Formats: sequence, C-alpha cells, structure tokens
Amino acid sequence: MTPLTLDDAAALLVQLEPTDQEDIAKLREALADLALDVQVPLAAQPLVARAARLLGELADHRTDDREATLAAANVALDDAVTAVEAAERRAAARRDGGEARASSAAATTTAPIVVPEMPSPVAPAASSSTPAPAATVVDGSVDTVPDDSDLDLLRDFIIESVECVANSEAALLTLEASPDDAEAVNTVFRAFHTVKGTSAFLGLHRMAGFAHEAESLLSRVRDREIAYTSGCAELSLRSVDMLKAMLADIDRALAGDRRLVVPVGYSALIAALASYDPSHDASLAASPHSVATTSTAAESGDDTARRAAPAAATAGATTGTTGDSTVRVRTDRLDRLIDLIGELVIAESMIAGDPLVSGSAGGVHHDLARKVTHAGKITRELQELAMSMRMVPLRTMFSKLTRLVRDVAIKAGKQVEFVTDGEDTEIDRNMVDILGDPLVHMVRNAIDHGLEAPDQREAAGKARQGQVRLSAYHAGGNVVVELRDDGNGLDRDRIIRKAIEKGLIESDKGMSDSEIFALIFAPGFSTADTVTDLSGRGVGMDVVRRNIESIRGRIDIASAPGKGTTFTIRLPLTLAVTDGMLVRVGTERFIVPTVNIHMSFRPEPSMLSTVVGRGEVVMLRGEVMPMVRLHRLFGVADAVEHPTDGLLMIVGDGEQRRTVLLVDELLGQQQVVAKSLGEWLGTVRGISGGAILGDGRVGLILDVGDVVALGQSGASVPLPAGIALAA
Amino acid sequence: MSTATATRGGKFLTFFLAGEEYGLEILKVSEIIGMQPITRVPRTPSHIRGVINLRGKVIPIMELRARFGMPRDGAEDTCIIVVQVGAVQTGVVVDKVSEVVSIGDAEIEDAPTFGDGIHTEYLLGIGKTNGRVKLLLDIDRVLSGDEVAAAAAAASTA
Repeated sequence: MTPLTLDDAAALLVQLEPTDQEDIAKLREALADLALDVQVPLAAQPLVARAARLLGELADHRTDDREATLAAANVALDDAVTAVEAAERRAAARRDGGEARASSAAATTTAPIVVPEMPSPVAPAASSSTPAPAATVVDGSVDTVPDDSDLDLLRDFIIESVECVANSEAALLTLEASPDDAEAVNTVFRAFHTVKGTSAFLGLHRMAGFAHEAESLLSRVRDREIAYTSGCAELSLRSVDMLKAMLADIDRALAGDRRLVVPVGYSALIAALASYDPSHDASLAASPHSVATTSTAAESGDDTARRAAPAAATAGATTGTTGDSTVRVRTDRLDRLIDLIGELVIAESMIAGDPLVSGSAGGVHHDLARKVTHAGKITRELQELAMSMRMVPLRTMFSKLTRLVRDVAIKAGKQVEFVTDGEDTEIDRNMVDILGDPLVHMVRNAIDHGLEAPDQREAAGKARQGQVRLSAYHAGGNVVVELRDDGNGLDRDRIIRKAIEKGLIESDKGMSDSEIFALIFAPGFSTADTVTDLSGRGVGMDVVRRNIESIRGRIDIASAPGKGTTFTIRLPLTLAVTDGMLVRVGTERFIVPTVNIHMSFRPEPSMLSTVVGRGEVVMLRGEVMPMVRLHRLFGVADAVEHPTDGLLMIVGDGEQRRTVLLVDELLGQQQVVAKSLGEWLGTVRGISGGAILGDGRVGLILDVGDVVALGQSGASVPLPAGIALAA
Repeated sequence: MSTATATRGGKFLTFFLAGEEYGLEILKVSEIIGMQPITRVPRTPSHIRGVINLRGKVIPIMELRARFGMPRDGAEDTCIIVVQVGAVQTGVVVDKVSEVVSIGDAEIEDAPTFGDGIHTEYLLGIGKTNGRVKLLLDIDRVLSGDEVAAAAAAASTA
C-alpha cells in the first residue's frame, strides 16, 4: 500500500521522464483515483482528471509529442495543487483564523490516499505495463449500497437523477443538431454534475466516479477544448445510458439485496471517457455499440437530427429554462383527493336540490340559494383542477422516442427525419406508461418496415431521407396521437396472403382496406420477410392494440401504396372519467361505456327470431346479431321480458362480433369515475368496476366484452340470485 | 382450533344478529354507518349483499346471516359496521349495534366444538360479562379471502 497525496503525486510527476512508461501508467492510476476522491476539493478534481487523461495518452502511446503532453500534465497538476491551496485558504479564512482546528484543512487535503499496489484485483503483476483502465473495477463485479445510507435520501436521489438524466438526454440530442448550443451543453454538464455531487455525498462512489468522467468530457466541450463531434455524441449518449443502468441497478438493489452490480461496459466506457480524443473518432465508430458499416448512415442520421432540430431544440431549451416549481405528491393521495372532490360534488348537488334551497318547499330562501350557488361554482372549479392534476404533457415521451429514432435509424441503415409536434398535449399520467410501449414498437416498425432504404427511395423518386412524423392534438373530446411515415405503405396483397395462410380469413371478399389493414393486429401476424433484432418477430402489433384498448383507446390504420402509412390512436382525455350510458334493467342500473355502444333502437317483432342452437338473434338491415338479455345474465327481477317493450343496444368491442343487449330503458349519458370493486370481491364476470352516480349510489360498469362472451356461453343466473340461495 | 393461545382479551364492539350478541375486536372496526341503499353485484356469492359508496370509495358489504347460513327472515338491518382488515375495508350488515365492552382474558373461553347456529371456526372464543354471553367473532376468518374467492369462482362458472 502506497499512501499518496496530491502533493506527492505532483512531486512524482515532475521527476518522470516521458519514457518512463511503467511509472506513468502507475501514476495515472493514482491520479484517476485522486480525481474521484471526495477529499480533493471540487475545484481541483477536473484538473487532476485532466492530468490523468494526459498521462493516459502517454501510457497508451496516443500522443506524438510526449514531452509536451507530459509538460501539460505537469501544468494541470500544479494548477490542481494551487486550487487546493486556494480552497484551503478560503476555508481557513472562514474559520476566522484563530480556531484550534485550523490545521484540519491541511489534514484534509494531505490525508493519505491509499493507492493499491496492484491496480486491479484481477489483473495482477503484468498490469502496470499494460494501459490499465482508469477505474479499477470489473464489469459484473459487485459491491453494496453503503450500510449507513438513508433510504429515503437514496430514493429521492434516484427520482431526481432519473429526471436529470432524461433532461440531459434531450439536451444531448439538441446538441447533436446544433453543436454550438451552449445552453444545451450546460444542461448536460449540470445534470452530470448534480448526479456526481449527490452520489458522492451518498457514498455511491462508483457512480460519482462515472458521472465525474462524463462531466469532464462535457466540460471540455463547454470550454471549447474539443468540438461536439459525432464520436463525442456517441460517448455522451452511452454515458447517459450507463447512468440510467446504474440508477436502475441502485433502485433494484434498494428493493432487494443491496448489492450493486457494475454494468457491462462500465470500465471500457470510463476509460473511453477519460482518454477521449476527437481525432480517434473512427475507433469509436467501430466499437461494438454502433455498427461499423453504418457510419454513413450515422452521419446522415446526424444531419437528420439537425434538420429536425427546431422541435427538439425548443423542447430542450424550454425544459432547461422554464422554472416551473413542482411538488411531488403520492398518486394514491392524489386519487383520494379526486375521489373526495367527486363526493363533494355529489354532496353539493344534494344540497342544491334540497327543497329548502330550491324553493319547492314553499318559502324561498334567496340568501341561502345564493350562497349554495356560490359554493357550487367553487366545487366545480375544484373538480376541474383536480382532474387536471393527473395530466402530464407528452413531451417526455416524445423526447424519449427522438432518441429511439436516432438509434434505430443507425441500426437499420435508414435516413430518417423525425418530426414531432404537439408535445404540449396533455394526457392522464397513468396512460403515459401504457402508451409508451406501443409507441416505441410502432416507431421502430415505421423505421424498420415502413421506410425504405435510401437507395430504394431514390429509385422510387423520393428523397433519400424518409420522414416519420409524430403528432398529438385534441379532437372531439379525445387525445389523438398520430404516427405517419412516408414509406412504402402497407402491402395489401401480402397481408391478405398471410392472413389466408394463417387461417385468419378465408378470402378478402367484401373486406374494406381498413379491415384488411386491421389484420396486422392479429396475434402472431408479421409481414416482415426477415426477422431482424429490431422488429418482425410477429409479436407486437397485437400487444400494441391490447395496450391501447386497455386504456380505452382505439387505433386505426390508413395506408397508401408508395405514399406511406398513418397510425391514428384515439385516447380518452383521462382514464379517471368514463363516458357511459346509464341504463335501467328492472330495478337495477348499469353503466355501459359509450365507446362500446354502436346504436340503440326499439325492435319490431319481425326483427326477432330464435335460431336453434344459437339462441335469440336480432336482424337489423341484413345483419344478424345474437341477443343477450341482461336481466337473465345478471338475475335481475321485474325486468322487461319482451324486447319490443324494451330497448336493444348494439355493442361490440372491436374484436368481437356485434351483439345486442336487451335493457329496459336508457336513463341518460353520464361521465363517471370508474373505481375498482376492491380486491376482496375479486373479478366479477361481466362487471369492470363501479362508479358513484349522481344520487350517491354505486352503479356497476359493464365489461361489454365479457358480457358478450358470457351471453354466448349461455350462462345465466337463477332468479332472484342472492335471496334464493340464502333461503 | 383456530383460537390460539395468545391473549384474546381487549375491547370489543358488540352487536345483535338474529337475537344473539356478538363481539368484534374494536381495533378492526373503522366506523359504524347507518343502513343505506346497497347496489347488488350480480354473479357473486349469496353472502355478498353488494357494494356501497363510502365517501367516494366503493366497498363491498357482507351479509353475516348468509355467511353463517342463517335465514334472512326477520332481519332488521339497521346498520353497517365497517371493518378494516389489512388495507381492505368491508362492511358487515348487523341488526343492532350494542356497546363497547372490555372483556378480560380470563372471561373468554374457547368456543365449544359442537352446537348449531354459527360455525365455531369463525369464533375467537366466547366472552362472558355481566352474566351475558357474547360470541366473539374472528373477523379475519369471516372475511377470509380463500373461501370468498372460491365461492365467487363457483358462482361465476355456474
């Protein structure tokens, strides 16, 4: 063990000759450790790191003028010593001179720093002659979360850092488009710096070390020492990924065994960061993280991003500069607040409807009525506000996709211009996560399958660069997210062939284009000729549709041969509110989600018939639909028995055959807040949840898909269910 | 037997059901509310009366009589005791809430393993205070998920 201080290191360095290969490597190790040491003042750390980097260049023979490089290292280290002394002086001055502990400042900076004799535990003796990585850790090796760490602090750190990293990712992409954007550089720099500072404070030294290296690279860009080239961009983005991986690992470790695993590529990346040299970009391009043959694509990809810059740039800039302050609130509390406000609205309407207030009881209390009206206004405003609290803009998701497009385009060897608009459109927080996966999948598909290769495009008389446009907007009470590419369009004939092959359809007779395109949502359907690691494994589009339908959305496809494909996703404004039709069946009321209802009508006797073995059917304009009697299905007494006395409602959830439900009457359309019936009851067949109705009672929301399935299986409940069994 | 050796004494909320007096551990009771309209949930076991709106939360309501296999005739249904077991709130319909009593460990005896009316596995024991007998319910068991889930499954596949 050799204790080494910064002063010692400086002294050692002065004595070194440019040819002392072995000693240079050793000293570089020591400096790399010193640069990360918390005891070295922050101001000096970059200088020490710079010295280490320069020595690294010497050790790896990456410099032509060894004398000059060594001299530069000396200068850097001298500056570091000066910075330390300055910091000491400031600290001493703060302590008012006379204090007895004045010497402790010196103790801090000269505290012995233990340098392991062997730079790396797994690379014994020989290592000193080989260029060792800056950090003496091995991918996949394990250490633990510090025992004395404050878990809450750690969790806050993770949340904060994830945000920082996401911001920096957006800024990096902006940078790629406009490398001179000083504000973007600063955003990234600050993000790395924050992560470094906090992680060091929390004792996560490996993360601090890594953030430090990433920060150093950016500081070189900021100080105009190096330009932000594509190699530098690649490194920075990989650093962002590494930080993400490490954060995820800490998160996982906190939940479980507290063991931190060094992500694969950690040491390689940290070494690459420490020794980054813009003139060696070529070697980076050939690294396993990017495909060598796509270097032209990579370049043009950069171009693309540059052209697509305005959107991304504004996104980056606004997130960086607007200082909207926020408070984190637990979602369960927020949900409870929304619940209670819903109750308040009901209670308020009960008061407003009270005879005493409304005047129907005789004497009119004008004063009271005025006060109640006033309270009602406040209540409604409160409700609107509460609903908006769950809404978040799509921006974060869009910027994530921008990154994805970049990576996929490089991998697929396509030239892509990615245009986004409407990233300020807000959707329910709970929908963001569910919408994320489908969008990722669809964007990948659009680039991998949708867009043609540049040569092919040129041959077809199109620009070599394809365009993928993602937009979001409000329309008719929905949020619409639209993904449009200008590629080759869906191959109608091939879809038909595949569908017949898979037995999905017998022939395409009488099918509209949109019905045929919708076949790609069938499970296991893929038109890709070759399976790539990007897409085409036949899993996906069915999951896409399922995810979107799970948040009560709808997806449609429009496509024109040679012109491109457009996917349109329509989503409800918020998950909290279901648009429903309140129907009465006997003594019970049910809510049928409006999205499932096609139409309702009072049947003529001639429309009804019973088909042997298939039950009752209804024929409307040539369409034969099975009929489900809700009162039988749910065992409701006193309901309308004959369909001509009641109403028929045509329902369907897209996948199933349209079915007709028999109800007594429609009570009106209503927006309701869907709630679970609770885990104690478990899943109740045919019912998706409950909602509080205007009179304060609970109404049950029908799960139309399940009701139809139940109806077809012929299940029914004896009348009247509960009482009969209990008696 | 379910009635473990741990101390069973404590405060109990007592109520009447079909003429008998029962006790519920007071710590499991979150509130008592008046009877209100209950929305029946189809295709659930008979001892589930339905759901109600408890200040914006939808909670299930259990019919103790049906749970214990008693007839519903003559039920007065005056109030609902809301019990909280873990994070789950459930309402229990009873005839009449009586009082809160402290019953010491020494005053509680194991439930007899015979007899009709109520299944003894739902009892913590039998408390005797002021010369009266109170059947102390093991509410966790009464609400026990397994049986309810099994019953629900049976009902929905029927």
